[in-house]
This record gives sequence, structure tokens and C-alpha cells, in this order.
Amino acid sequence: MGVKLEKIVKTYYDKLAEGKIMARKCKDCGAVEWPPLLGCNTCGSTEMEWIEISGKATLVQFVMPSPITRKPEMDFIKPYALGVVDLPEGPSVNVMVRGIDRKNKDIVREQMPVACHATIVEKEDYHTVIFDLDVVPEGKKRERKPKAE
Amino acid sequence: MNPMNQTTLHPYSRSVSIIGVGCTPFMYTLDNPETAGLTEGELFGYAAYKAMEDAGIGPKDVDYFFHGQATPFNGSNYITPNMQVSEWFGMRGKGSIHHSEACCTGYLALEQAVNAVASGKYNVVLSGCVEFGDAIADPDKPAHFRKKFDDQLFQESLKWIYDRAYTRAMMCGPNLHQDDGAAWYQAEYGLTDEEMDETLISIGLNSRKSASKNPLALARKTYEELAKENGYDDVMEYMKSFFNPKMTGYLRASGLELKCDGAAALIVCPTEMASQFTDKKPIEVLGIGNATREANQPHVELLGTREAVRQVYELTGVKPEEIDLLMANDFFITSQLIAAEETGYLPRGEGWKYFIEGRTSYDGDKPINTNGGRCSFGHAHAASGLADIYEAVMQMRGACGERNVKKLPKTSMIRGFGGAQNLAAIILRTKE
Repeated sequence: MGVKLEKIVKTYYDKLAEGKIMARKCKDCGAVEWPPLLGCNTCGSTEMEWIEISGKATLVQFVMPSPITRKPEMDFIKPYALGVVDLPEGPSVNVMVRGIDRKNKDIVREQMPVACHATIVEKEDYHTVIFDLDVVPEGKKRERKPKAE
Repeated sequence: MNPMNQTTLHPYSRSVSIIGVGCTPFMYTLDNPETAGLTEGELFGYAAYKAMEDAGIGPKDVDYFFHGQATPFNGSNYITPNMQVSEWFGMRGKGSIHHSEACCTGYLALEQAVNAVASGKYNVVLSGCVEFGDAIADPDKPAHFRKKFDDQLFQESLKWIYDRAYTRAMMCGPNLHQDDGAAWYQAEYGLTDEEMDETLISIGLNSRKSASKNPLALARKTYEELAKENGYDDVMEYMKSFFNPKMTGYLRASGLELKCDGAAALIVCPTEMASQFTDKKPIEVLGIGNATREANQPHVELLGTREAVRQVYELTGVKPEEIDLLMANDFFITSQLIAAEETGYLPRGEGWKYFIEGRTSYDGDKPINTNGGRCSFGHAHAASGLADIYEAVMQMRGACGERNVKKLPKTSMIRGFGGAQNLAAIILRTKE
């Protein structure tokens, strides 16, 4: 028993490539670390076991991308917002949330907290996790001013 | 909060006080022929000698020194930064160590020095920080060859702050924090978009007013003057115009740091020894709370500040109403609001009104960041924390001239923040 030297980061990414989102659950107190870590930050135990998480989540806060935070390497998941999600397994994490744009952001905000789910996306050399709204509300159409004659 | 994620502080083994402080102007060295080509040794050395002079000591009296820099390899093209500057202020052969906690470095520079003296190992310790946030090294050339640290390169370098196992790959943590505090505050207290915007603008107005009176500050032209120059009679109208565009969901240009070059240093010694060196009243370090939270976790600044502040209040027994001056690292200007309410300096949910009413400038009844803060004084990343401590000490001595706060501060709270993210809560008190 006791802490084991093991490849947690590589295991996590290898499992993502297989379509599984893994976390580590503390055998002593039941707390879940996602993304997975060596030991438990709730009770300090190193007795951890791998579990697959459901991918269900609740979006509790979001902000829209801005000139400073909008990065070209994130374009492949547009439209997105930067959010905080609560997982039913316990963790709260800052994540990218797809499905929110300038047209529907106010509707999403009125509906908060809203249900979302984890999605595995592929980057150049590895896979990572973002979240998609369970229901993407249709946005308000912008009123265009008629062109001057 | 889970007690496992909290720390109980214990009293220092002996009382430690700040007896000397030094600070360079915060500047764009390359933009001025008189400062272009200044080097790390010259900036650090200047701040260190000023601190020693202020303390009434010389290099022979210093037992050990701490060196802080946020990005020595990128900014200065070297490692072992303490060795790189040690001979520039008479420390040849003496012991030293380097530490690096991004924008929190300068606050933790005090932590390091105080612990070293409180332990009994050293009596007189110097702690300094230097940063070239605007003029980075031109590799493989002598140190005075420097080039502009442009915004694109800066943004690229910021990723180094963040966890490489998961946070960078998940993309959110490094990009959410600019607006996290404002989004949380607005949702928590139900401010309208306009109220939130005017709050953040007002923080900038108050800070710039303070900076306009500070000869060490980088940006000293008030926004009122800038408004007039650009044809606006109403400064708020100017601040909401394209002259001050929104750069994030909440922050306008006036709410973002001005990264620049600078250095600062201080001297600490056992409080009981202070009178051997100087007639100035020692500034006692009553306690320093600390917390670190990783950027994948929600609300790192808010929750980290809450824990650091809890620790230092619990240790010292100081009450929020005893705080006369608050300094808060504000590379995002929202930090003044978050820090002011988490320290109890301003009432929860009401703090935003104090900023709009102009009460947080140097001449207000609740002064915050009287040097101008990161968005007006400037942000020489590691050095900023020591520059804030420099300011607090000078204010507590009543040595800031016309911009000294109305009621001479006896007790100051300094909230450090930086590096995705370290939080520190420091309480200083004038020893009578």
C-alpha cells in the first residue's frame, strides 16, 4: 500500500484517445479528482482508483471570449465560452463550453445553471475535453439597419 | 473550506521589522535615451543600495539576500539570477538564493526575508526583485543590448505560468481569469452591466489620480487631462469611448497592467535591533498568510485571497476595521474590488460604490493602491510586490508628501497575487 509511482497524465490522455474520460477516486473518502491526480486533495490519501466519469455537468458561470483571450488555436471549437462546471462526481473545473455565441449568450445566462456534457476533441498531437450545452438555444437574430438609399 | 486545504500560522520566533526600502522608477527603459540599456545589475543594485541607505546600513551589515524575478531565462537570458546581480551591490561571497512566483514574487520576497530573520539564522537580510517586463535581453550579447518585449511575445510567454499536465490542454484556465472576478462579483451582487463597467472605470480613475502625484509611477497623466486633450468634457464619457476600448468581456484598456521595467528592495532585521541602525520607526511584519490554487480550479483569486486573509487575521488578531491602507496587486483592475472585500476593508457587496464615489484614491477615506497600482504605477512583474511594500512603508512613515493619505496609516494590508496563482496577505504595523 502507499503511494505508487505511476503514469497518471499519460494514462489519462491514452484513455481519452480511446474515448474514455477517466478520473481518480479516493478509496478512503470517496472524493474524485478530475482531471486525475496522484493523491486526494480532500483527505490526503494516496489510495486512489481509476474511474470513468459520466461526462454530465452543470454550467454555473461563463464569460465570452475577448480580443485578449480569443486564440487562433481555439477556433476549431467555435462558438465557445469560458465556463465553470460542476460535475455530479464532485469536481468543479474551469472548462471550455461549446454552443454559446453572441446571439444566444443572454438566453443561456437567463437559463443558468444549465446542463452540459463532456466531449472529447482531437488536437494536433493529443485529445482533450471540452463541454457542449445539452440544448443549444436559438439566438436572437440581430436586427440589421436598412441600408441608406 | 475543508480544513485539509487550510493552514494555521504560528507566531514568529522573534519579531521582524522592515527598516529600509528602495525602489526604482517603473519605466519603459528603451523609450528614453537616458534609461535605454540599463541592466539587471544596475536596477537591482540601485534599489538595493537605496534600501540599505534608507536603513542606515551598508553591504557589510547584510548577512544574506533573496533575489526574485518572474522570468529570468526569458527576460534576462540567464539562470542563477541571484549570482548574476550579487556583485552589483557589494555582496561578493555572501549567501543568497533566488525565488520566482510570477507576479506574486515581490510579495513573497518579504515572506522569505522575514522567515530567515525570524528563525534566528540571520539578523540583517536584504530582499530584492528586478524585472524587465518591457525590455528583454538580446541573447548572446552584453546585458545592455535589449529589445522590446512585444505583446505577442508576452501573450505567448504567459502560457508558461499554467499547468502543463492538463490546464493548458483544456484551454480555459489561462483565459478565464481576466474576467473571472468581475463575472463572479456581478452575478453575486446583481450589478447591471453599466454599474460593473463604471466600477472598473472608476477604479482606474482613482488609481491614475494617485499615480499622477507619484514621481516613480509610469503613467502620470490623469484621465481627466487625457479626456480634455481628446475633446471630452466628461471623463466618464471619454473612458467609455473608443479611446478606452474593452479588451476583455469586462476590462477596458484602463483596467489592464502596464508591463514595464523596474526593481525594488527592502531590508529586514529583528525589531529589537532596528534602533541600532536607524532612527526611523520600524515597520513590523505582524504576519503573512499564503495560499496557492491552480488555474483549472474555479475562482482562484477569490478563494486564495479568502484563505490567505483568514490565516493572517487568525494569527495576528487584527480586525479589518484596523486596516488603514490596502495595497492589492491589480494586473486586472478588478483585483482591487475583490481584495478590498475579501480583506474586509470595504463591506461585501458595497465596495463597488466606494470606487465610484472616488473614496479609494490617495485623498479618499479608504485609500487603495496609492502608488497607482499595476495599471498606472506599472507592472515590473516580480518587482511590483516590493514596490507595493515600498509604498506602504513610505505612507506609514508619512513620507509621501502631498499624496500622503489623510490619516497616517498605522496598519496596512498588502494582498499579493500572481502566478496562476499564489496569494499572499501581509499585515504591517508601525512599531511605536
